[in-house]
Amino acid sequence: MASDTLERTIDKILDQTQKRLGSELDGALAESGKTLDGARAGLEAEYDKIISDGRKEADKIQKQIVGSSDLEARNKQLLLVEEAVDRAFTQALGRISDMDRGDSYAELVEALVREATDTLGSTEVVVYTSEKDRDVVGSVLNGFAGSQLADDIIECLGGVRVVSTDGTMTFDNTLDARISRLKPLIRKQIAAKFGVVN
Amino acid sequence: MAAEGRIVWVSGPAVKADGMASAKMYETVIVGESKLIGEVIRLTGDVAFIQVYESTSGLKPGEPVVGTGNPLSVLLGPGIIGQIYDGIQRPLKALSEASGSYIGRGITTTPVDLTKKYHYTPSVKAGDQVQAGNIIGTVQETDLIDHSIMVPPDHKGGTISEVVPEGDYDLETDLVTLQDGSTLKMYHRWPVRKPRPYKTRYDPTVPLLTGQRVIDTFFPIAKGGTGSIPGAFGTGKTVTLHQIAKWADSQVVVYIGCGERGNEMTEVLVEFPHLKDPRTGKPLMDRTVLVANTSNMPVAAREASIYTGVTIAEYYRDMGKDVVLVADSTSRWAEALREMSGRLEEMPAEEGYPSYLASRLAEFYERAGRVRAAGSPDRDGSVTLVGAVSPSGGDFTEPVTTHTMRFIKTFWALDAKLAYSRHYPSINWMNSYSGYLADIAKWWGTNVSEDWLSLRGEAYGVLQREDTLKEIVRLLGPEALPDEEKIIMEVARMIKIGILQQNSFDDVDTYCSPEKQYRLLRLLVDFYNRGQQAIREGTSLAEIRALPIIGTLLKARMEVKDDEMEKLDEMDNMMKEQFRGAAEAKVRS
Amino acid sequence: MTSVGGVQYSKIAEIKGPLVIVDDVENAAFDELVEVETGEGERRLGKVLEVGNGKAIVQVFEGTTGLSVSGTSARFVGKVMEMPVSKEVLGRVFDGLGRPKDGLPDPIADKFLDINGAPMNPEQREYPKDFIQTGVSVIDGMITLVRGQKLPIFSGSGMSHNILAAQIARQATVVGTEEEFAVVFAAIGVQYSEAEYFRRTLEESGALKRSVLFLNLADDPAIERIITPRVALTVAEYMAFELGMHVLVILTDMTNYAEALREISAAREEVPGRKGYPGYLYTDLSTIYERAGKLNGKTGSVTQVPILSMPSDDITHPIPDLTGYITEGQIVLGRDLFRQGVYPPVNILMSLSRLMKDGIGEGRTRQDHGEISNQNYDAYSRAQEVRALAGIVGKAGLAEVDLKYMDVGDSFEKGFLTQALDENRNLEETLSLLWKVVSNLPRTELTKVKDKYVEQYYRGSDA
Repeated sequence: MASDTLERTIDKILDQTQKRLGSELDGALAESGKTLDGARAGLEAEYDKIISDGRKEADKIQKQIVGSSDLEARNKQLLLVEEAVDRAFTQALGRISDMDRGDSYAELVEALVREATDTLGSTEVVVYTSEKDRDVVGSVLNGFAGSQLADDIIECLGGVRVVSTDGTMTFDNTLDARISRLKPLIRKQIAAKFGVVN
Repeated sequence: MAAEGRIVWVSGPAVKADGMASAKMYETVIVGESKLIGEVIRLTGDVAFIQVYESTSGLKPGEPVVGTGNPLSVLLGPGIIGQIYDGIQRPLKALSEASGSYIGRGITTTPVDLTKKYHYTPSVKAGDQVQAGNIIGTVQETDLIDHSIMVPPDHKGGTISEVVPEGDYDLETDLVTLQDGSTLKMYHRWPVRKPRPYKTRYDPTVPLLTGQRVIDTFFPIAKGGTGSIPGAFGTGKTVTLHQIAKWADSQVVVYIGCGERGNEMTEVLVEFPHLKDPRTGKPLMDRTVLVANTSNMPVAAREASIYTGVTIAEYYRDMGKDVVLVADSTSRWAEALREMSGRLEEMPAEEGYPSYLASRLAEFYERAGRVRAAGSPDRDGSVTLVGAVSPSGGDFTEPVTTHTMRFIKTFWALDAKLAYSRHYPSINWMNSYSGYLADIAKWWGTNVSEDWLSLRGEAYGVLQREDTLKEIVRLLGPEALPDEEKIIMEVARMIKIGILQQNSFDDVDTYCSPEKQYRLLRLLVDFYNRGQQAIREGTSLAEIRALPIIGTLLKARMEVKDDEMEKLDEMDNMMKEQFRGAAEAKVRS
Repeated sequence: MTSVGGVQYSKIAEIKGPLVIVDDVENAAFDELVEVETGEGERRLGKVLEVGNGKAIVQVFEGTTGLSVSGTSARFVGKVMEMPVSKEVLGRVFDGLGRPKDGLPDPIADKFLDINGAPMNPEQREYPKDFIQTGVSVIDGMITLVRGQKLPIFSGSGMSHNILAAQIARQATVVGTEEEFAVVFAAIGVQYSEAEYFRRTLEESGALKRSVLFLNLADDPAIERIITPRVALTVAEYMAFELGMHVLVILTDMTNYAEALREISAAREEVPGRKGYPGYLYTDLSTIYERAGKLNGKTGSVTQVPILSMPSDDITHPIPDLTGYITEGQIVLGRDLFRQGVYPPVNILMSLSRLMKDGIGEGRTRQDHGEISNQNYDAYSRAQEVRALAGIVGKAGLAEVDLKYMDVGDSFEKGFLTQALDENRNLEETLSLLWKVVSNLPRTELTKVKDKYVEQYYRGSDA
């Protein structure tokens, strides 16, 4: 009897131990599974971050390279266009300078003088012009009472520079001045003729 | 004969012209070849000093100046409501049709569409005598506005020989013909710098309800009263003004953006058509007029915008309506005065402002009031003026703020510290005041509750005591106070969060009915009294603080809609219950 | 102003400060552009400030140093100052008056535009509400910038405002759109090194080809500074409203601009307003700031981030004060945070974006954005109070929950605010950092956020 009882007790203990061991094992297993999962998630996140950081960096470098080479190409083009515009201008100026000093030129000079005296509000003026235009201007000035042709000559392609007699007001109506005033507007048209501007 | 002169001098918005001997002070003139609009503001010999309402860039001496013979005026008639005007009543929509996205120059427009037809119902007949101010009929301007057609205030009156029958007419139609052959149309003009006459003026006795608790309950304004709202930038001035324009219980709102941000006017334009008037359910735009002269628009027109706005307000007042005018900001208007004064080389007073700053402010605020309109039939209307002030550096001792304080009766002081801690509206309860409390207490007594004034006094008392105690806490820490005083701090906190703060972006909290305002206040004052009693009977502050009712009371402003007052009854019961519970727990232990 | 102009006047009555007063002038217009020529034939630009009774007062942008009453003449050009604009200005560097500074020719102009612009009709404005992601958490999360907004950075001398502005310029995008965008940078009286830092950072990020730079450096003429922001904005408006681009304009430092304005006002002997600044400073500043915005029926937008250094860190000084009244909020940098080495050192309690409410939320950023941002404001403001209290009664005297707020303060500054110069955080990251900050608190303290968001995002210990 006693041994029976003992055996049964031992069995019971063994049984309980087994159960406890089993459940502990299960727990440990689940625990380690969890840890593993966690570690994997962590690793994956880290891995993703490394990849995305790398990608960000690569993007940055690519942008930088593409950006600056685009810009260099564009700037070269701008210089080329400017060269073309300048060449067109030089040619045009040459042609103006060689222009025939006929009747129509006298009309032009008269218009230039009139505009100048209107703007200054008086015909009591001294008129400067180039060596080449002295004669044309001189005859035109006969129509402007009080005006006089300056003794000095100025360097210019054509046209006149008009100064009030007291010297305080000047109106520069030489062709050079007019062209330089118009230049920014003309540049676009020339550039367009070369087909380099949209 | 209209004056015809020549420009002799230009500096920014200021122009001098000679040959103007026949020009009159404040006459409107057409300036230069681009036909800019200007106004004569000084005459010396035959030289007129003119402020120009448009950019003078490119204007030259020698260009012509032509007088119109008329002072700067506004056109008053149906079609004004819902519009957005610049400072001299040019509709911005018409300007954009003429000049696109940007404001062009020299554009002439009519303030309202004169060809639009309205259904006119006459209220006079042939043989009737009429005089200035009499109503001769009505038209429906918008769903919200029945527009009375009045005999102009400067009209000599006479006997009617003919009236058109009821029907649809445009603004140019002669509706009424008098025996002397003169006619009356749907509109007339009125000079902006001349207040429109009225019969009698009354003391304000009715509150202007704005649905904002800190205003209506603590610092109320009356219909026909004056109020000012000064605040440094970032204190929520604009939001507060928009709240007043949205929810004030008036029939017409005139909102003047005077030298402020362009996007703020756009916001009103975008938002108001979609917002509904809580009392009528109609779009708020149907009762609103905007006058927008933003900061980058010509400075002289900014000076005029205030007068344009207030004249329109008086016109609707004369129909017997309650009108609210919001001017944001009077400081920018004062700066426009200062700039013109500087160009006139006048002797400056404080901070470069002209010496007449105070009298101009006084004249403006004097145009507020509750009046019996001129003419018959009898009707009472009001103009309430609310002016924002933008004190430089947030300093309330600067000239515009100090002078304004002399002429207004309600002062809502915005506080940057409150704004930084996100307490909105940031109206400081210690620095603000209202001179209308006694006048309007009767209205609250009759319409809401007999004890309104004393209840408000009790709550305000708690806030005042907290303000003193705060000093002690700052020096010694909160533990230095006994429980009887700590509960004052606690209840003051509850009043701040549960009453004074109001979230204008929350659908429920944005507007609070007078009834709900009173009930919320009642609950908090009751809480205070019960708390005091509980502490006297031995309950600790910690126990009171643990009562769940506190959280409920603080959220009530957002959780309880205006038609759910029974929820507040429940809260009252819960509060009694919980205090009783605390007391019983005390006895048991 | 259709006249040809072009008359040159040589009777100079007076030269004082930046002003030249020309006598016997017959035909000049207010605001007209003037070419001042020195005795040596050097040409400088200026404009007419006042004209009449035979006199014209001309303000010379490049200064009057070296001008003499006898040798100087002034030519009135017959038009207001204009800036040539075209798409080809992108990638270019100009001086403070809009002239090339990069060795390349003048741009071939598509148009010449008045540099003063014209006021936008408020009725034609489109209310700004498109969220711009800057990648800077504190801005995206708490002081959101939207397209068409003007949001200045209020800083103090020596603080990291330019670095922050450069980071914004590099990283700013509108998520989910393919629309073109551009950066216009105007240096107003800043040091060469700062301007160069900006140029380099744009180059390194590949953004230079969609940027335009206007440089008025510390040693360039002071009066030129009146023009620099205006030419910059003229180009910006052209790109935005004619080419349909989204343009971010950075103006640094507006304090130098205001000082140039004060110099002119003093020379004209005008009655000064506060601190010697002219009474029209507000109006003048508004003609710059109000050029930000969006327009009905146009694709593009002009967004401005002006930078200004507050003299003595004083926010009530007229320059920040008047700016704050015009702009739609402000980003304020804090000296304390800067000293602690926090970057970006933004003092959020003093900062504000007025247009934020319309630029965030469902369909724009995320549903919980507004509420979680409010909760952080609230918590950080409380943290500051607790810190102050702890300074008096000591940490031991604080309640349990107060200690938690101390943690919030630290976590906000170290975990959320602090960010690396090249760290570009997306909105999800920013918002989850905001949730992380308030997760230091017990859930009952989260009174500003709806329960459903707390369920979804709160990760505190009692979750």
